[in-house]
Amino acid sequence: MDESTLIARVRAGDSAAERALYDAHVDRVYRLAFRLAGDDALAQDFTQETFIRAFDRLGSFRGDAAFSTWLHTITTTVVLNGLRKVKRFRQREADIDDAHDIGVAQRHAEPDLKVRLKQAIDALPEGYRTVFLLHDVEGYTHEEIGAALGVETGTSKAQLSRARAKLRVALSDFAGEWIA
Amino acid sequence: MMDQHEDPKFEQWLKGAAKSYHSPLPTPREEIWKRIEGARRNKRVIELRPWLRWAVAAAAVLVLGIGIGRWSANLASSRATASTAAAGRRIPNEIDSLASVAYQIAATQYLSRTEAFLTSFRADANRSASTARLARQARDLLTTTQLMLDSPAADNPRLRSLLEDLELVLMQISQLNPVQDGHDRDLINQGMNQSNVLPKLRSAIPAGPVPVRTEGAL
Repeated sequence: MDESTLIARVRAGDSAAERALYDAHVDRVYRLAFRLAGDDALAQDFTQETFIRAFDRLGSFRGDAAFSTWLHTITTTVVLNGLRKVKRFRQREADIDDAHDIGVAQRHAEPDLKVRLKQAIDALPEGYRTVFLLHDVEGYTHEEIGAALGVETGTSKAQLSRARAKLRVALSDFAGEWIA
Repeated sequence: MMDQHEDPKFEQWLKGAAKSYHSPLPTPREEIWKRIEGARRNKRVIELRPWLRWAVAAAAVLVLGIGIGRWSANLASSRATASTAAAGRRIPNEIDSLASVAYQIAATQYLSRTEAFLTSFRADANRSASTARLARQARDLLTTTQLMLDSPAADNPRLRSLLEDLELVLMQISQLNPVQDGHDRDLINQGMNQSNVLPKLRSAIPAGPVPVRTEGAL
């Protein structure tokens, strides 16, 4: 059954079609949510919220773009909004911590490359990080990223370039890894 | 100034190395599907969105009505004596309605705050958030939950059921034992999953601009 028929059946209230549509897309949605959130519980929450919104709003899907593009737009919106909410909450918790705790937390040994890479990606501005993960890690095109984030293709390209530049500076201690 | 020249070697290496960043686990398909089904079932029952929209519209009309009423009263003060008793009966009703709307908005903010707390609690299950801090935050929310259970909000059976579920979860978190912290958190998370608390909570929070939903809550 092709996807447009499946979507029509979901709109008509066919629960088996809902499940089939879910099965066809859930892996990529969960994968994207996990890649952005880095946490299984959050990724599950965001995947759940994405499909609930998608099923609720399927009536507004006109088929101008691919269903997967439309779904990934919802995913990125849900994930980025959710992460901002969690970040604000954690920030408030961190503000309550006393200075001693913060001092202890900063005394770590020199991390290895994997840890440094994670820290460098985490430290990217949200827009740069999102575009970098979508393009370089998940393999989305700039057109797909532009559609998902509601930005121009050129903006996506520029953010990717800046993200890579920042990462190159942050990882310059490990330059031997890629020069070799 | 940052060097932004392209470096194909670096980019190729970076693509490979970054695959390890937040490397996804296998998709828990059935678990997520069950939660989606549960949340959608609940959403059909607990649907506050149109209710809140009407409540805010009603509040605007009432405020306008009171304003016009006061203006008219001043304008025709010489003729107001005879109608004072009737106005005196009307204004308390209007104030009651306004209080109700204010209460409903506060309830929405409380639900948003609780959702953020529980989402963060789940995400922090294996992290370093201190037990004492979590317990303190849970106690604050628990107090509000219990006040709400004693308020007119609890007249709505669905909302009452949700508040009772929240009361139980918050009570468990507020009594977290630092010694058996990990085990207790697992049990609380399992309970939350079984009772579908978070999906129910999210269904009860009306959509809308963030400031309306969460101002003062986060």
